[in-house]
Amino acid sequence: MTGMAKPDASSQGWTAVVLKYGLAVVSVALALALALVAQSQALQKVEFPLLMMAVAVTVWYAGLGPGIVAVALSGVGFNYFFTQPLYTLYIEPVDRPVFVVFLLFGLVIASFGARRRRIERELLQAREELQAEVAERTQQASLLDLTHDTIFVRGMDDVITYWNRGAEELYGWTARDAIGQHAHQLLQTVFPKPMEAIHGELLAAGRWEGELDKRKADGTPVAVASRWSLRRDEQQQPLAILETNNDVTERKRREEDIRQLNEDLEKRTSELQATNKELEAFAYSISHDLRAPLRHVAGYTELLHKNTAAQLDDRSRRYMTLILEAAKRMGTLIDDLLAFSRIGRAETRKTTVSLDALVKEALHETRPETEGRQVAWTVGALPDVYGDRSMLKLALVNLISNAVKFTRTRPKAEIEIGHADGKDEETVVFIRDNGVGFDMRYADKLFGVFQRLHQAEAFEGTGIGLATVQRIIHRHGGRVWADGIVEGGATFYFSVPKSWWEPRS
Amino acid sequence: MTELGRILMVEDDPNDVELTLTALAEYNLANEVVVTRDGAEALDYLFCRGNFATRTSENPAVLLLDLKLPKVDGLQVLRQVKSDEKLRVIPVVVLTSSREERDMVASYRLGVNAYVVKPVDFHEFVNAIKELGIFWAVINQPPPGSVRKKGLT
Repeated sequence: MTGMAKPDASSQGWTAVVLKYGLAVVSVALALALALVAQSQALQKVEFPLLMMAVAVTVWYAGLGPGIVAVALSGVGFNYFFTQPLYTLYIEPVDRPVFVVFLLFGLVIASFGARRRRIERELLQAREELQAEVAERTQQASLLDLTHDTIFVRGMDDVITYWNRGAEELYGWTARDAIGQHAHQLLQTVFPKPMEAIHGELLAAGRWEGELDKRKADGTPVAVASRWSLRRDEQQQPLAILETNNDVTERKRREEDIRQLNEDLEKRTSELQATNKELEAFAYSISHDLRAPLRHVAGYTELLHKNTAAQLDDRSRRYMTLILEAAKRMGTLIDDLLAFSRIGRAETRKTTVSLDALVKEALHETRPETEGRQVAWTVGALPDVYGDRSMLKLALVNLISNAVKFTRTRPKAEIEIGHADGKDEETVVFIRDNGVGFDMRYADKLFGVFQRLHQAEAFEGTGIGLATVQRIIHRHGGRVWADGIVEGGATFYFSVPKSWWEPRS
Repeated sequence: MTELGRILMVEDDPNDVELTLTALAEYNLANEVVVTRDGAEALDYLFCRGNFATRTSENPAVLLLDLKLPKVDGLQVLRQVKSDEKLRVIPVVVLTSSREERDMVASYRLGVNAYVVKPVDFHEFVNAIKELGIFWAVINQPPPGSVRKKGLT
């Protein structure tokens, strides 16, 4: 079975061999037959050229091996049929030199034929190789044309000898335009350093890389990352330079943009820092200079009151009380405002903070405000968050004391603290009360500085508490919001992002 | 009869001087108060130079120091006092309008003995001054070499 599938190659080989040697046998036999026929027709001495012709034909078509066989067969036939004694293989001594010459002549013809065949075969092979190389080169050249990279070749005199499609696309010159032109003149190349230095580097290392400014056919400037490779001939003489260019104009523009943006950012940062410094100086000055005259107003009014109280009527005494109250209130305002501005300026020191513990502390701090009142507290379990402990505590104190304040009119205040289901990435805490609530239409004003939704007589305060809460929560990257109904209680929410969570180790 | 320590007050604001002296006077603590109006004058007094070259060299029992002062500010006065071998023993009370944390931190770093923010409310102010005066000029036993005189209670 396998013998059927396989045989072609080897059987063909065998057939060829048989044919070749068969040719030797047939051509010698034919020559002998013709010679014998000629002899019978009394034509003498034609056997020698006929046999030589048979050898030549065999060598010509079948090669050296069959040629030698033909020489041998011719020798035998010649000896048998044409030398005395006839029809024996014995050669008379007189005929021996003739026979030797015959054989030598046959061998010479065979070797000439063989050599010719070999030369022919080599020629054929060389032609095939040449054709293959031409095909490959052609394919390579068209491959270079396929790439979008810009590739061109220039001689050592900088005259362009090859120009691919990528080069045409980038520079707008066709290969026909470019080939034969001086590369640097055509592209108006600007070099980062003297040409001699670049050429020195190229000759030393065989390559050079750098950024070059060039111009397209339409005059548009283009920045390219350029790579040069040097090609040398067999004697190591520099022959040509292959230059690959990549358009980096866009990248350079972006880099420039980024640099510009960074510069702007730096400028703005330093401006902000200056503003911050100014603000700090301003706050410092307020803290010192604004409180002093206030103290004096209060102090002297008090002294005046003390020295003249007996002579004054009720109305004048009331005015003095009002002056004192106003001064005191302004003092509180200044203090609150300074505290508020401090929160904006202070560094946050973040750690893992237990909200449970923080709420406990805040409740303790606001206890004096609930004295003599009935307050039902509901405090749920709260998670840990990552943040500035003292700031978060201040936020909680403000929110709790707010709830305490605005439930004052209720016989039984109910205040609930817990954490709500927020979005996955944040922890949401709420403080809910059954106090006087607020009108949702004014909800956006709740967290503004000095914004108050109630009459000053009804609920005291500077209107800075919720603004402080908002500022603290914003500094943590969280949000604040509130729900309320007039006379139906209010719920204040704040969130702290969970991404700041750091698990306790 | 108690001994009353001399108080050196450094305060540029005449109103504050008057109100403080009034508060001290209410409790008979004003007899021995020396007032200097800026940091340079306070240092002159402490180092017995300039206008104070001829004074007796005892230290005051306490130094009431404002921070915001012309010429040489309070923190600089504090620094010089606390780095002088003879003066460093004087108890220094910073008495200022400022609640600024950095002033407080700087003062304590320099070794201040007390830091008091002047209250806006006059009663609180009088109380604060009274308590300061009584504590530092009467109750506290100042270091040896301080001026004390017999005073009324």
